[in-house]
Amino acid sequence: MFSKYWFLIIGLLVSVEVVGQQCELNISGYVIDSGSDEPLEYVNIIVSETGTGATTDSTGFFRINDLCPEEAHLVISHIGCETQQVYINVRRDTVLTLLMDHSENLLHDVVITGEAIDKSTQISQVITAQVMADQIDKDLSNMLEGITGVSVLKNGSGVAKPIIHGLYGNRLSILNNGVLQSGQQWGNDHSPEIDPLIAQKIRVIKGTAALEYFGSQLGGVILIDVDRLDEEPHLHGRLSYFYETNGRAHGTNLQLQQYNPKLSWKLNGTLKKNGDRSSPNYFLNNTGVQQANLAFQLQKSISPKLELSLYGSTFNSEIGILRGSHIGNITDLQTALARDEPFFTEPEFSYGIEAPRQVVSHHLLKFSGKYVFDDDRIIEVSTAAQLNDRKEYDVRRSGRTEIPALFLRQGNLFAQFKYRDLDIFRNWGMSTGLQVDLTDNTNQPETGILPLIPDYRSFKTGAFALFNRRINKSFVDVGLRYDQVFQNVLAISSTIPREIIRYDNGFHNFSASFGWQYLWSKHFTVSSNIGVAMRNPAINELYSVGVHQGVSGIEEGDPDLKSERSIKAVVSLKWKPTPRLYVESLFYYQEISDYIYLRPEEKFRLTVRGAFPVFIYDQTDAQIYGMDFTAGYELSPTVSSKLAYSYIRANDLEANIELINIPANNLNASLQYEMKESISLIGIQLDKCAFTIDSKWIFRKDELLSDQDFTAVPDGYQLLNAKLSFDVSLPHARLRWLLRIDNMLDQSYRDYLNRQRYFADDLGRNVVLGLNVSF
Amino acid sequence: MLASCSKDDPVIPNEEEVITTLIYTLTPDAGGTAVELQFLDADGDGGDAPEITTSDLSPNTLYVGAVRLLNEQESPAEDVTTEIMEENEDHQFFYETTVDGLSVSYDDLDSNDQPVGIRTMLQTGDEGSGMLTITLRHEPNKSADGVVISDPSNAGGETDIEVRFPINVQ
Repeated sequence: MFSKYWFLIIGLLVSVEVVGQQCELNISGYVIDSGSDEPLEYVNIIVSETGTGATTDSTGFFRINDLCPEEAHLVISHIGCETQQVYINVRRDTVLTLLMDHSENLLHDVVITGEAIDKSTQISQVITAQVMADQIDKDLSNMLEGITGVSVLKNGSGVAKPIIHGLYGNRLSILNNGVLQSGQQWGNDHSPEIDPLIAQKIRVIKGTAALEYFGSQLGGVILIDVDRLDEEPHLHGRLSYFYETNGRAHGTNLQLQQYNPKLSWKLNGTLKKNGDRSSPNYFLNNTGVQQANLAFQLQKSISPKLELSLYGSTFNSEIGILRGSHIGNITDLQTALARDEPFFTEPEFSYGIEAPRQVVSHHLLKFSGKYVFDDDRIIEVSTAAQLNDRKEYDVRRSGRTEIPALFLRQGNLFAQFKYRDLDIFRNWGMSTGLQVDLTDNTNQPETGILPLIPDYRSFKTGAFALFNRRINKSFVDVGLRYDQVFQNVLAISSTIPREIIRYDNGFHNFSASFGWQYLWSKHFTVSSNIGVAMRNPAINELYSVGVHQGVSGIEEGDPDLKSERSIKAVVSLKWKPTPRLYVESLFYYQEISDYIYLRPEEKFRLTVRGAFPVFIYDQTDAQIYGMDFTAGYELSPTVSSKLAYSYIRANDLEANIELINIPANNLNASLQYEMKESISLIGIQLDKCAFTIDSKWIFRKDELLSDQDFTAVPDGYQLLNAKLSFDVSLPHARLRWLLRIDNMLDQSYRDYLNRQRYFADDLGRNVVLGLNVSF
Repeated sequence: MLASCSKDDPVIPNEEEVITTLIYTLTPDAGGTAVELQFLDADGDGGDAPEITTSDLSPNTLYVGAVRLLNEQESPAEDVTTEIMEENEDHQFFYETTVDGLSVSYDDLDSNDQPVGIRTMLQTGDEGSGMLTITLRHEPNKSADGVVISDPSNAGGETDIEVRFPINVQ
């Protein structure tokens, strides 16, 4: 699919000269860089139906002659920008002014959203469709890792969850097509159950101005955007395939869509399978993953003002966990730590997945309606249902390996009402809404194991109001939000005889944010926001009890925990002195009072299975601060470079020690060469040939004390990756080839944020071959 | 809506896999009164401390040892030893001691002719004291290098049981 996101047609001027069947029409116009207002030279504009086209001159002007009156798809490509497609119905000679966001695309894979500027002071970053297409083999979290300031908490290669500015899990919100993703977000070994390929783009909001979204307001927000369908009457689609050498993975994705005034539709399906991954020196046995996902989208315009849409998605995955990382008690962990190669390492590759493994599915159905009163006022109503099933299988005695050791089923109902008025009073814009959410979480008793977290039902209602206004060169926004949470909990006692303990609790969360953006000049923008937020303790923090198998520790909740209160300030400076240079620095500071964390008890607990460390949920005051720096520079029209650095520190202010599971500082540098001209290879014309080499440095987390972990913090490491890609234009389709090599030097390393580091090295070299056809 | 906030009682799972009790019975080979070492942790992973009971061993005596595992959360108590015996090639007991002159040897074999350790022979030396650690490994590599009755470290697998008894030989 061709994303139009970075592409705007601002004028469609029509001059009536010829109306007839002769092929004498022309399309002409200018292409301008929206970032700098400079004309863009060497932009190729091709009419895909006829193959004719033109290239812009130094004034940004182009002209395509001799067109027949017909429907045409213009393919617009420029070095360093994502190729775009625009549909127009050519009836007359047509003059277009096209805006391309070239200078912001200097950063290629991560661009600062332009859309948000007019709506709020949200400080956010975007992963675009093409970047996703070039990383089709990756899951959501690993895709997000490309954004400065986002890291990933992993349990091997198959389980990954995003960390934004040091916060993850219950403190982050992931919105899947506007609906807060329900599921077992508390577990460090639970990935978000979303296929990223369903999205047109993925946004990460790092600042505080995200109060309209349901969920925790403490950390960042990840938005999986499923955009409304383009008004493009033809059947379009994209078929992708990839192969990875590491894990011998195959994957395919098919997207089909068609607009029709009566009913527009889109289908999106993904199949993925990989076997045992490998580190440079040995196989990581039982790390296969299988996935089958499907999504559909229906959209119907009832009238020019009323549009209804129905969206459904299903995600189904089976994930193998490294066999050698499954341990019984702390002695086993210490034995494993002393080894170079994990137990159960086999010399043979296998696609088989055995215990320990996870079988997870997530289903979503969403219905929404949008009513547009006029240019300013819109009402949107939506309702959604979700079902999340998580089964985790351990190695057990007497055939019980086939019985899940953990089986949680979560059902969720959500409804939302939103009203927006761009000019409610003296140019103030307003957006307001109400949200209700009912979640039911039930342990399935066939496990034969006391559940780690209890059954519960939670009922949450929220309301928000956001106001914004442009005042000369400034743009301000103010947001308020209130949430009320009731939790009805049914726990099973950890003492004998087993009893059922009921808890009823309620929390009130208030959040507020103030943002200010100042356009100093066309080249320099300052955005800042400051926000306060509250997060009520989650079910696991309040009531969990038992052995958390993944960490071989006993975790105990505390029913008396209070809500966390946070204040966070973010300042972002964007500087674009020339179309060739782009610099963004983002600074943040956050303080969380009553920060909930797992405090290790001094005494181990003796059981028949041996001694276990005990962790109790406790509260402290925490401080997190850091910086994300990104810069892009075009050395020449064909060579561009990029640098990204992120720095973070997080402290427990009471104990005066570092917080655990905070990403290490890291640096990313890349160099890209993209050919200006097409090249011809055995008669095939290759466009946009690009070669990228990038290097990633992860520094050692020296600030952690030796008694804060079971073993020494792993050393820092450097990885080298490379990518080669080119496009081939066909009469009605475009092909894109991709060759990517991750960890090119086959470096052995262990990453602090990967729990598998206790047992095994991380992934070795991986060569990814990708191909997609867009039509 | 509020009425629906009240949830049905959960079904308490039947924890049939739990082992609450390990009894190591040592019968003098030449006849005499058997000695029992018992580790009892009724609440599993819960907070109550386990009860450990031991008796003194006689010096320079050969004992026939037998391990028995019980789940006393069930009523009547379930003998888990049979489960271990059924999957004997996937299980192995280890006996490590710090008592001078005390040694334990295997007295049984699994279906692959590898030791299991449900039945053992224990030989005491002169008077002394120390600890005896009994470990049960699930899915160990019984033939890995260096795996002997007193050293499970290269065997891998998961520890299902790890209990320590204070031993007095006098």
